[in-house]
Amino acid sequence: MKEDLLDIVCCPLDKHDLELDATEREDGEIVTGTLTCTECGETYPIEDGIPNLLPPDMRDEAPA
Amino acid sequence: MAEEPGAASVRATYDRIADHFSKTREYAWPEVSEFLDGRSGSVGLDVGCGNGRHAELLVERCERVLGIDLSRGMVATARDRSAERGFDYGLAQADASSLPVRDGVVDLAVYVATLPHLPSRELRVASLDELARVLGGDGRALVSAWSTEHDRFDRAEGFDTTVEWTLPGGTGVDRFYHIYDPEEFRADVSESGLELVEFEVSSGNCYAAVRPG
Repeated sequence: MKEDLLDIVCCPLDKHDLELDATEREDGEIVTGTLTCTECGETYPIEDGIPNLLPPDMRDEAPA
Repeated sequence: MAEEPGAASVRATYDRIADHFSKTREYAWPEVSEFLDGRSGSVGLDVGCGNGRHAELLVERCERVLGIDLSRGMVATARDRSAERGFDYGLAQADASSLPVRDGVVDLAVYVATLPHLPSRELRVASLDELARVLGGDGRALVSAWSTEHDRFDRAEGFDTTVEWTLPGGTGVDRFYHIYDPEEFRADVSESGLELVEFEVSSGNCYAAVRPG
């Protein structure tokens, strides 16, 4: 993902800002890292360049 | 015993069929192209973007676009397809009934063939409320849903069902659908924070052009 996506996205739960912690970048894109809600502290993973912004209870649901 | 329909099973299904499904979803729907014709904006949003075929239309009309899908497999196909075709937009795995999108930032949105996958009326209306929340004051969106008007259904009232997707090799994978009757679809839109601007039934689908109410 590109860093400027943070202008559009927010925490799916309380809609507050997300703070980026990038651990791997490539060609100006964040490949791996986390997005953390500045209000509730919930953390959302970025893997293979794709942020997972599902609410945590859906993220953890085992595939049926 | 039939599996309880839920978001997790819809997601698992699309994760499983993503590659094959994507190959059969090459082109944009004409109704979506018609809605987008002449419209533009700063930020575009595709809710339930699948392989991104409609997000690509938004890219041509908006400065920035975000495509979201519940299925990680589908998001991955959208990423690969956009890279191959040179379309530049953002992607995220997300849920339509709890959009990770800021209030009022979206100018143009499509929510196509996705609403029927949400497993309860409560969640479907919640997703329409979410769409209303993220649309700016002048924002417009197109919402579509498979309807009882389609030739393959012989019922007049909306109902829950599963529709099989057949993978190459013949394996069948079920997908949950709520098939809307047109009046019920209009009622769900009215129940939400959206205002109906235009409505049509075309090729067995209900289409609502909406704005925030």
